[in-house]
Amino acid sequence: MIFLDCAATSLQKPPAVARAVSEALRTAASPGRGSYAAAERAAELVYQCRSEAAGLFGVSDPERVVLTHSATHALNLALRSLGAGGGRVVLSGWEHNAVTRTLADLPLEQDVVAAPLFRPEELVEGFRRRLEGAAFAVCTQVSNVFGYVLPLSDIAALCREAGVPLVVDASQGAGCLPLNLEALGAQYAALPGHKGLYGPQGTGLLLCAPEARPAALLTGGTGSESLLQTMPDFLPDRLEPGTHNVCGAAGLLAGLRFVKRTGCGSILRHEQTLRRRMAQLLSNVEGIRLFESPDPALQTGVLSLTVQDVDCEALGERLGRMGVCVRAGLHCAPLAHQSAGTLDSGTLRLSFSAFNRASELAPAAEALRRCVEALRSGARG
Amino acid sequence: MFYLIVCRGLTQAQRAAAVLERSGVNQRILRTPSQVSERGCSYSVKIAHKSLNTALSALRRAGLSPTQIFLAQSDGSYREAVL
Repeated sequence: MIFLDCAATSLQKPPAVARAVSEALRTAASPGRGSYAAAERAAELVYQCRSEAAGLFGVSDPERVVLTHSATHALNLALRSLGAGGGRVVLSGWEHNAVTRTLADLPLEQDVVAAPLFRPEELVEGFRRRLEGAAFAVCTQVSNVFGYVLPLSDIAALCREAGVPLVVDASQGAGCLPLNLEALGAQYAALPGHKGLYGPQGTGLLLCAPEARPAALLTGGTGSESLLQTMPDFLPDRLEPGTHNVCGAAGLLAGLRFVKRTGCGSILRHEQTLRRRMAQLLSNVEGIRLFESPDPALQTGVLSLTVQDVDCEALGERLGRMGVCVRAGLHCAPLAHQSAGTLDSGTLRLSFSAFNRASELAPAAEALRRCVEALRSGARG
Repeated sequence: MFYLIVCRGLTQAQRAAAVLERSGVNQRILRTPSQVSERGCSYSVKIAHKSLNTALSALRRAGLSPTQIFLAQSDGSYREAVL
């Protein structure tokens, strides 16, 4: 199997992640619920996970690192906290449904900054024109479809200047691009644990600014202020009712330590190298369109493509049967496809992680070439 | 004789304990005794009587403000410390 769907989840994890999950399953109970060794062990794992994330992502207080089920969960917390009162929200044209569906569920006017793919200056200019009077802004760090690295620092600077709270969707950037919540001055950042941070599925993080006052999405027991029938007004308890995913936190902690040890820059360079080599190998497939940035720094290890007269879903399905795992279609991001002009066709997406090897590229490219030929000959026949 | 530094939640207690450890203060996290827990469950950091000033300075530098501080009495009761 060649796994090239790392933008969906990083299937291949550092071995320490599985070991940590297994050990937590055997030895850790529930944090904040008892004074015995297994509860203390759980509490320590969860706190270490928060502390490691706080250190990596520029949060000076681990209490403001909230453990969530996913980045989607984290985005719901952030967007519903800021958007419940209505108003106008400014967002990039590269947002995922985790953002746009949540915004659509709120009494908000969505003001989309439409700018062409890999043209960051135009995106920044669009934000500059729209921020005045906005309730808040949302920007993804990287497009999940095209690997496009958005000009987040510039957009964050504009938000600071305009006094507009910013929500960062770091789903595709966390683990390969630097992210410092407090340096950006962002109000919230949402991160999945299971993609570039190499933790297990079912983990995510919400990073909160000191001034953030998030509303509880769920209510229930927190192991604190139990006499009160309202949720605690402090973090992380306010947003973390119920039993924690301790095994997930243990695995995520191991993943975070892997990223810290390896270095975001090193991971990014590896993934970009694989993406560029793959693009070279595929460049002579007849009718192929590769979505590559002229400036390599503007693209992570995600490569989207279309092939003329070949349905991307059929191509993805056939590749899957040959053991090459990719993602086809709209990638839960119709807005991004609309921005790129690929809403009708969708794309086939190849995405790399720290665990992909250069030796996987040629077989995967050859498989894609054969699939295209087979689909074309089938169509002709 | 020891002090209990009452924290609003477990994570704050863990953070306080980490700060104190870095400052060389021996400490232990424990559940706040029910006789001093006004809102139900909470966590406290237990420190030796002699460590109070060092502990408070370290917590202040870290921007941590405990909810309350109690001094354990010889009869097992607690008296709130007025700082």
